[in-house]
Amino acid sequence: MSELGEVPKPMPVEFAAEAPVTGKVRLDAAWGSTEGDEDLTAASTTVGKSDGQIFKQQYKQWNGELNPRWMRNWAILRHHLLGIFKKGHRPWGIPIRLYLLVVFVASLSDVGMTLVSGLIGDSGLHSVWGVSRDNLYAHVLGFFPRNMLYYPVVAALLVGGVISEDRQHGTSALYFSRPITRFDYVAMKFISVAMIQGILILVTLALYYFAEIATMGRGWAWIIDTFPLFLATVFSALLLIFTYTSIGLSLSSVSNGKFFPGIALLSIILGTKVLAFISSNLFDREILYLLSPYDCLAHVGQAIIGTQPTYDQYSWTWSLASLVAMNGIALYVLSTRVSSMEVTRE
Amino acid sequence: MIPDFDQQGKAETKEWAPEANAPAILLENVSKSYGRIFALSNITLALNGGVTGVLGMNGAGKSTLFNILMGKLKVSQGTVKLFGTDPWKNPAPYARIGFVPEHEKMYDWMTGHEFVSTFARLNGLTRDEAKIEADRVLEFVGLTDVVHKKIGQYSKGMRQRVKIAHALVNDPELIILDEPLQGCDPLARTTIMNVIRELGRMGRTVLVSSHILQEIERITEQIVILHQGRLLALGNLHSIRERLDKIPHRISIQTDSPKQLAKDLIDIDEVFGISFPDGQNLSIQTHNLGAIHSKLPGIIVENNHKVNAIDNPDDDLASILGYLTSGGRV
Amino acid sequence: MATKPDTRFQSLDRKASAIVEFTLRQYRTKKSTWVVLGVGFTALALIFLIYIDVMASEFEAIDNDGDSTDYDNDGYPKGQELRLGTDPWDDESHPGLFDPPVEPDPASMYINEDGFDWDVTSELGTQSTGIDDDGDCLESNKTASQKDTNDNGVPCDVVVEFYRMQDGQIYSNIESDSGVDEDPDEDAYAKEAIHLAFVLSIGKLGFVLLLGIFLPLFMATGLIRDEMNSGTMHFMLAKPISRSEVFLYRTLGYLGVVWPYVIFLGILGALVSGFVGPSDGFFRFADLGVWLAIVFATMMATLVYGMLFNALGVLWKYGIILAIPFAAWELGMALLSMGVPDSTLLRFSVIGWALMIVDAAAMIVWPNLDLFILMGNWGGSDDFNYLQGSEPLNFFSSKPGLGLSAFTALIISTLVLLFQAALSWFIGGALFKSKEIQ
Repeated sequence: MSELGEVPKPMPVEFAAEAPVTGKVRLDAAWGSTEGDEDLTAASTTVGKSDGQIFKQQYKQWNGELNPRWMRNWAILRHHLLGIFKKGHRPWGIPIRLYLLVVFVASLSDVGMTLVSGLIGDSGLHSVWGVSRDNLYAHVLGFFPRNMLYYPVVAALLVGGVISEDRQHGTSALYFSRPITRFDYVAMKFISVAMIQGILILVTLALYYFAEIATMGRGWAWIIDTFPLFLATVFSALLLIFTYTSIGLSLSSVSNGKFFPGIALLSIILGTKVLAFISSNLFDREILYLLSPYDCLAHVGQAIIGTQPTYDQYSWTWSLASLVAMNGIALYVLSTRVSSMEVTRE
Repeated sequence: MIPDFDQQGKAETKEWAPEANAPAILLENVSKSYGRIFALSNITLALNGGVTGVLGMNGAGKSTLFNILMGKLKVSQGTVKLFGTDPWKNPAPYARIGFVPEHEKMYDWMTGHEFVSTFARLNGLTRDEAKIEADRVLEFVGLTDVVHKKIGQYSKGMRQRVKIAHALVNDPELIILDEPLQGCDPLARTTIMNVIRELGRMGRTVLVSSHILQEIERITEQIVILHQGRLLALGNLHSIRERLDKIPHRISIQTDSPKQLAKDLIDIDEVFGISFPDGQNLSIQTHNLGAIHSKLPGIIVENNHKVNAIDNPDDDLASILGYLTSGGRV
Repeated sequence: MATKPDTRFQSLDRKASAIVEFTLRQYRTKKSTWVVLGVGFTALALIFLIYIDVMASEFEAIDNDGDSTDYDNDGYPKGQELRLGTDPWDDESHPGLFDPPVEPDPASMYINEDGFDWDVTSELGTQSTGIDDDGDCLESNKTASQKDTNDNGVPCDVVVEFYRMQDGQIYSNIESDSGVDEDPDEDAYAKEAIHLAFVLSIGKLGFVLLLGIFLPLFMATGLIRDEMNSGTMHFMLAKPISRSEVFLYRTLGYLGVVWPYVIFLGILGALVSGFVGPSDGFFRFADLGVWLAIVFATMMATLVYGMLFNALGVLWKYGIILAIPFAAWELGMALLSMGVPDSTLLRFSVIGWALMIVDAAAMIVWPNLDLFILMGNWGGSDDFNYLQGSEPLNFFSSKPGLGLSAFTALIISTLVLLFQAALSWFIGGALFKSKEIQ
C-alpha cells in the first residue's frame, strides 16, 4: 500500500559553528550549546517495512565554539533592555512604554525649569529650581510626586511579569534549556530592570546637573564644590533603584502572572509609608519608618546628601541597617525561589 | 443506564422562545477575518438533528466556527442563528445548548459534582434541582464513583467526561463538543464516543470537531470538512466520496497473482491505471468506482483468480481530506 | 422534580447566587487572598497596638502659666502667693509669715489647675464662655479692668469669635481674660485629641485609602480577566446568562469576601478604640457612629474600585497597568483631601467622595470638633503654644467640602459613589459584551 517506492537517502546534516556573530543573530548564536551531546555520533539503522520507514539518523557533534559567558548574558540583557525602544525584543507593552516616557519627561521638570531660569536670568526662579542640596535630594527622593507617582509605579510596572510571566507561561524553559545559569538569568533580569529605572532617575539627574553648569556658566570651583553632593545623590539613587528592584523581583519570583508582583510592590512601598505616616504624625512614634523602604531610603539619603532630616527619633544607621535587611531578605527569597524554580508551565 | 431525558422540562426564560421550525444551527455567508487573514470565509451551513463531525486540520477554522456559535466571537460578515437567534446579541439560546470547550484548564479545586451542579444553576436551576441533574448526567457519562473527588485528581479522560456532563446538564437539544477526544486514552475515547453516539440516537443535534479522522469515522458518517477557513465538503462521508468522481479512486486487491489479474483488468474501459505496490498487491485507478465494483467480481470469478481482500483505501476520511486539500493529487 | 423557574427574578437569583458562591469558593482556594487579607490585618493591628501603647502612657503635664514654680525660693509656689496676695518674686514676702502661718501647697496643685470649660457652639459671632476654676482671676486682687483684659464687659471670661472673611472662609479668634482657662490638662486633652485623630486617620488612611484601594487592586482586577486568560470563562459564557450579569455577580462575589472583612476590621477598631480611648464610662459609645461611617465609606470605596478595576481588567489583558497609575492618583487625592478638602480635583476621584462620608459623619457625631481643635491650638494662652494632639487632629479632620451641611454631604457623596459604581458596571459590562474571547 505504501507509495514510497524507495528509501530516500539520509541526508547528513551538519551544524557549522557560526563563528562569533554580531547583530541580530547574536542571541541565537549565544544560545548554541554543546552541553549534553559531547560524544554523540549515534546512528540508528533503517528497518524497511511496508507501512513505514525509519530514516537513518546521524547526529554529529556540534563543534562550534561557545561564545563567552558575558556575550550570552549580554544577549539576555539586550533582549530586555531594547524591548523598550523597538520591536523584536521583549515586548513591554505600549502603556508601560508610554508611562516610562511620561515619567521621563516629568522627571525632567527641574531640568527644564533650570534651563528657563538660566535663559531668562531670573534668580528667584533659579533659587527655587536650580541645583541645590535640597533639590538634588528632591530629584531622587522627594515623596510627592516622584516617589509616589513616578518611581515606585515604574518599578511596579517593570517587575510585574519579569519573572512571574516566565513561570506562568513556561517560557523560563527557553532560558534554562540553554547554557545559562540561573544566577545569570536572574542577574540579567535584575540589571535590565534596574537599568531602565536608571535611565529615568540617573540620566535625568545628570541632565539636571549639566543643565545647571551649562545655563548658569558654572566654573570648576562650583563643580568641585557640588560634585560630592552630586555623587551622594547618585549613590542614594542607586540604593533606591536597587531596593525597589530587589523587592520587586523577589515578589515576581514568588507569584504567578503580572498582577500580583506589581500591586504587591506598590502596596509595600506606599502602604508602609502611609502606616509610618499615621504613626509618626499621630502618635509621635517613628518606629514604623524602619518597615518602610521609602522612608529608610529617604532617611539615608538625607544623611549622606546632608539635607535637613525629617526623621529624628532614630539614627540614620538604623534606616541603613533596615535597608540592608530588606534587601537581604528580598535577595534571599529571590535566589531560593529561582534556584528551586520548576521549569514547567504553572 | 440511559436515563430518560424527556422527563425533564426545558430550561427557558419567558422572554425567549425558540423560533418555530428554525434549525438548530444556521450560518449564512459567515466570514470571520482578523485584519487580512480570513479565519472563516463565506460559510453557509444549516444543521438540525444527528451527529455531525467537523473535520479539519489544525488552524482550519474549527475553533473559530465554534467560538462564533458560542457567541465568543463576532462575525465579520453574514448571519449566525441558533434556534433563530443571534448568539452574539442574545445568550438566551444557550438554555438549549451544551458546550464542551477545548481548553484543558478547569477548576481543579472543585469536585466533579460541585462543578456540574454549580454551572447547572447558571441555567436557572435551583440548588436542589442542580444536584439531582448533576447526579443524573454524571451517571450518564459514567463518573458516578468519582463525583466527590477533586477535578484536579481526575485523569484526562475523566476531565473530558466531566466537561461533557456539564454540557448535558440542561438537557440540551444542541451539543457542541470541541475536540472532546483530544488526549484521551483508548478506553476513555471509547466511552466518550459511546456517549456521543447515544446522544445522536436520542435525537439531539451534536457537533463534534476533531482532526483525528478515524475517531469521527467511528462516531458518525455525517461530516463537515473545513480547510483554511473554507467549507470544503458537507454531507455523508461516502456520498462525498462519490461526488469526487473526477479524482481517480483506488482499489487495492490483495492476490497471489497480481500480474495475471492486471492483464485481465486492463481491458475494462473504466480502468485507466494499474500499479503494483509490492508482490502481493495490485492497485487499480478508476474514475468510476461503481462500474468497477460491478464488473470486478465477474472478472475475478471468470479467470479464477485467488483474491484475499478488496479494499477501497481512499474511502476513509484521511484520504478524502488529502484529496480535497491537495487538489486531487494522489 | 421541582419546577423550573418561571420568572426572570427567580432565574436571575439562581444564577446570581451560583456565581457569587462560586467566586467566594474560588477566593478561598487562592493563596494570594489569604496573604492579602492577612497582611491587611497585620498592618492595621500594628497601628492598633501603637495606639493602645500611646493611650496607656502618660502625657507630661506642663505648667502652662508657670504658677507652680517657686521663683523666690521661699517654699511657696507662685500661684499660692498670688492667691494669698504676697509677692511671688520676693522671698521676704510669703504666706509663711502670716499669723497663723499658712502651710505651702504642693506644686502639683498649680499644674493643670484651670482646664477648659467652654460652652459655645461653632456659630458665627462672638460668644463669651469659660470659668476661672482656680480663682487666679476672679479672686485675685486685680482691678476690674485687669480682670477684663479682653474688654467685653464680662470679667474673667473667654471670648470666642467666629467670623467670615471675604474669601468666604470662617476664621476664629480667641481672647481670654488673663488667668482664665490658662492651664489646661495636657494629658486629658492629648488623649482625647489623639483618640479622635486616631479614629479619623485610621478610618481615612487605613480603611478607606489602604483597604479601599489595595483590596480591589489585588482581588478585583482579575475577576474576569483571569478567567479569560485561562480559558475557563468558556464554561460560564456557554450558559444562558448575559455577560454584564456575569460581570456584576463576579463583583458581588468579590464583595462577599471584602465587605465582611472590612466590617470585621471595623468592629475590631471600634472595640479597641472604644475600650482603650479616654471616656467616663467603660466604653465610648459615641464614636460608634464614626466607625459606622468609616466602614460604610470603605465598603463604598471597595465597591466602586472593584467595579472599576474589574472593568479595567476586562478592557485590557494588562489592566493592572492602567489600574496602578490610577491607584497612585487616588493616593494623591487622599492626601489632597486632608490639606485642601474643597479642591475641585477631588470631585474627579473616588476617594474624595468616600472621605467626605467620614468627614460628614465626624461632623455629626462630634459637633464640637472644631472648637476642640481651636482650644488645642490656643493652648491656654494667646501666644499659640499648641497642645499636643491638636495638630494631627487638625490635619486629619476636615470639612466635608462643597460647603454642604453634614447630612447633605453624606447623602450626596453616597449617591455619587453609587453612581460611579453603576457607571463602572455599565462600562465594564459593555466592554465585556463587545469583547471577543478566544
